[in-house]
Amino acid sequence: MPASALTRAVLLIYGLLVIALLYLPLVSVGFASVSKARYLSFPIKRYSYKWYGEVLESGTVRDLLLTSLSVAAIVTILSVVIAFFGALAFARYDWSYRSTFQKLILLPIFFPQTVLGLALLMWFNALGVIPSWKTAVVAHLVWIAPIATLIVAIRAYSFDPALEEAARDMGANTVTILREITLPLLMPGLVSAGLFAFLLSWGNFPLSLFTTGADSTLPEWLYAKMVSGYSPLVPTLGILSVVGSILLILTAFAFGWLIRTIRDSRAAQH
Amino acid sequence: MASNALLRLQGVVKTFGTFTALHGVDLDINEGEFFTIVGPSGSGKSTMIRLLVGMDEITDGAIWLRGERIDETPANLRPTCMVFQSLALFPHMSVGQNIEFPLKLRNVAPAARKARALELLDLLHLPRNYYDKRISQCSGGERQRVALARALAFDPEILFFDEPLSALDYRLRKTLEKELKDLHHRTGKTFVYITHSLEEAMVMSDRIAIMKAGRFEQIAVADDIYSRPVSRFVAEFMGEVNLFEVTGGAGTLTGAGLSVGPEARQTELADGEEGLLMVRPEYVQFGDADSHFDYAISGRLLEEYALGSRIQYEVETTDGQIITVEKLREDRASVRLGSDVTLGFDAANTHLIAER
Amino acid sequence: MQKLNNKLGYLSSLPMLAIFAMAFFAPLIVVALFSIMPPKVFSLSNAPDFSAYAVFFQQGYYKSLLWSLGMALASTLVLLVVCWPLAFGMAKVFKGFTLVLTIAVVMSLFVSENIRLFGWVLTLMKGGLIEGHIRAWTGNGFDSPLYGVPIIISGLVYVYLPFMLFPLAQGISMVPDDARQAAADLGATRWQIFTQIDIPLAAPGIVVGCLLSFVLAAGAVAEAKILGGQAVITIADDIETAFTFGQDWPLGSALSVILIVIIGSLALFGVSRVDLDKIMGRKR
Repeated sequence: MPASALTRAVLLIYGLLVIALLYLPLVSVGFASVSKARYLSFPIKRYSYKWYGEVLESGTVRDLLLTSLSVAAIVTILSVVIAFFGALAFARYDWSYRSTFQKLILLPIFFPQTVLGLALLMWFNALGVIPSWKTAVVAHLVWIAPIATLIVAIRAYSFDPALEEAARDMGANTVTILREITLPLLMPGLVSAGLFAFLLSWGNFPLSLFTTGADSTLPEWLYAKMVSGYSPLVPTLGILSVVGSILLILTAFAFGWLIRTIRDSRAAQH
Repeated sequence: MASNALLRLQGVVKTFGTFTALHGVDLDINEGEFFTIVGPSGSGKSTMIRLLVGMDEITDGAIWLRGERIDETPANLRPTCMVFQSLALFPHMSVGQNIEFPLKLRNVAPAARKARALELLDLLHLPRNYYDKRISQCSGGERQRVALARALAFDPEILFFDEPLSALDYRLRKTLEKELKDLHHRTGKTFVYITHSLEEAMVMSDRIAIMKAGRFEQIAVADDIYSRPVSRFVAEFMGEVNLFEVTGGAGTLTGAGLSVGPEARQTELADGEEGLLMVRPEYVQFGDADSHFDYAISGRLLEEYALGSRIQYEVETTDGQIITVEKLREDRASVRLGSDVTLGFDAANTHLIAER
Repeated sequence: MQKLNNKLGYLSSLPMLAIFAMAFFAPLIVVALFSIMPPKVFSLSNAPDFSAYAVFFQQGYYKSLLWSLGMALASTLVLLVVCWPLAFGMAKVFKGFTLVLTIAVVMSLFVSENIRLFGWVLTLMKGGLIEGHIRAWTGNGFDSPLYGVPIIISGLVYVYLPFMLFPLAQGISMVPDDARQAAADLGATRWQIFTQIDIPLAAPGIVVGCLLSFVLAAGAVAEAKILGGQAVITIADDIETAFTFGQDWPLGSALSVILIVIIGSLALFGVSRVDLDKIMGRKR
């Protein structure tokens, strides 16, 4: 039954309230990052951007960003590749252990990340591998590749299996089908999976904490500073990280929009 | 395997686990023919086409194409092509790219590909500027034509159709049925068509195969399927039919309530043999006491339905059997509902089925 | 085709299975093995003993476990109530706003949990965003709600909201509109539609949502640490401490095994009950 206007309005207001609450803490962080005082107290009396200058000049911060970026970039690439094939095994091909595979994929997502991080630490220790940002990549993959797989799988579910059968019927072999049909059709899913993978890796703390060894990612450093005592750099860097994420998402959206516009205009020309 | 048939199936069996979808089917399809396989859902016709195209493997038996065994050949290496029920047009490609896809797989030069695609657009009465259109911009009927053009670009030995018209509305379906028949004439290709609608099959096909529970019930030209069905199943599958349970004896027939005239001789049923006497509703006449029919039966007019150009009557006999009569609107009978009527039909318009 | 499908299925699952074998199952085996080592050793070449499990009962670690499970249960129930109207709105009422809401909620996930919880501290602390401004305007402040069990549960609700919201919305969208309309037409009240139509048909989404939020909340650390000021110690916190400050890997492993068994059996029980193909909309 169509919801009444009142129901709709009440639910809409409720939804806006939830969004507001979701982002309220970030508002506080935002204000904190532009407070001039070294010790934060609201209401803020004097504003200053000096912390942003300090952050951008800091060599530590540059190292942190580089580590976080390296981890996130490699995790993104590997996750997308694994998720492409994983999603086909999850959603497309009817093979004997498909349902087992589907359930297996969910396990790391359900798993407490702290425990997973510690377990990996012991495993690397048993193997004699010294933890560094490279081991963190492996740790992130265990958690992020399944999530990326689910995202691509949703896309894989939405297209007609007959498309691949039709291509095969017209003479295409498996590799050609993957290249000409499956890959282009899954592309939007792969892009969102890549975006998710990057951002989840970028913001991950519990897995990084135990698996980066001497290296440190941005969330780890922020946490260490938070626990050891307030530093104005924490909100500043936090906000920079959030802004970076938002810019990345906007770029992705703009890019998708651009591609669609070009494609449509090309079709409309004829 | 020497054979004149283009496609030959011999003892083809297909099982899925414990379920047997096809029980040893034999079939010959000739070059250039429009062959249609008809059956209700679950009869095995979809399984059949997937085997023929190579998307499933047969469990037992053999399939020959031009005398060569192909049942081990995977779909992408068979010289046949199918138009899918969903059409399976690639949404990420333009109309032109869709049509050129099979040519691209064979590394045909781009210019030659485009020339062929434009030719096919012409053949299917699609404007040439559709070449760059996206699939999402095409209507249902246009998509059908694009799918056909793509299949023809493949230049298959046999073109298979898996109920491609079933999702369309009635008028468009009727138009496309005729276009398909016309396309068959113009291309001279062998078409193998699958549908659950015998009406669709009758319009287009040279020969029709009726499937039931994984077996062919009857394979014949359309006229024979309609007027000379081999079984009750086939007779009833093609729309309305009147079947009388009869018994043979002394060169004539006896049946409950049925008065048989002296001229109605028959030799198909032996003495005491049971069968079904079939007459289609349009051959049943309303009569009166003076009328002279080979077969006559009396009853009461129950209901009258207007079916557009025709009128359909339901008559209940004294034994409780319902008889369907159809008349053209201009030949409408002037009988009141609930009144007693005498019905009759001539032996020439009947057909005997040797089963109950 | 079936053979080909099977082959392709196996092949395409390989990269994922390789990661799982190398970085999921192997570490779990190591954890299991360490849990039966004598206290405070760092290698597996010792005679097994079960002393670490005994410590779990003797030294009150079971209390942390109960706290974790209790708070997880509480936050799951709160989430169910909080998310249902919103999920219903997303699935049945909103049109364009569903996308806005989805993007807003998903984007919040990309911000590190720490920063968001830290933001709540800045918001709720004495002299924080709320109390500071209220004191400046009215002259009267109030005690900070931080550092207690209710605020930890609120933190769990806040952090795991997306994990309840999206499965629930997906579940509710599986309830056909005409089934609800037919029920209303047959004289069902709103409450009857809710209990007789919505809940049974949305059950897969409810199960997945509850399972995800409960399991994730049961293994959480940061909420209790940052918002709770360690008013309560969670089991995951104990595990972390055993590994880091305690330098007792066998103890940490034993606590992990206990948590994993509880969470794992719940998760397996849950996922074996839902048809993923159906929830995710497989065509055939």
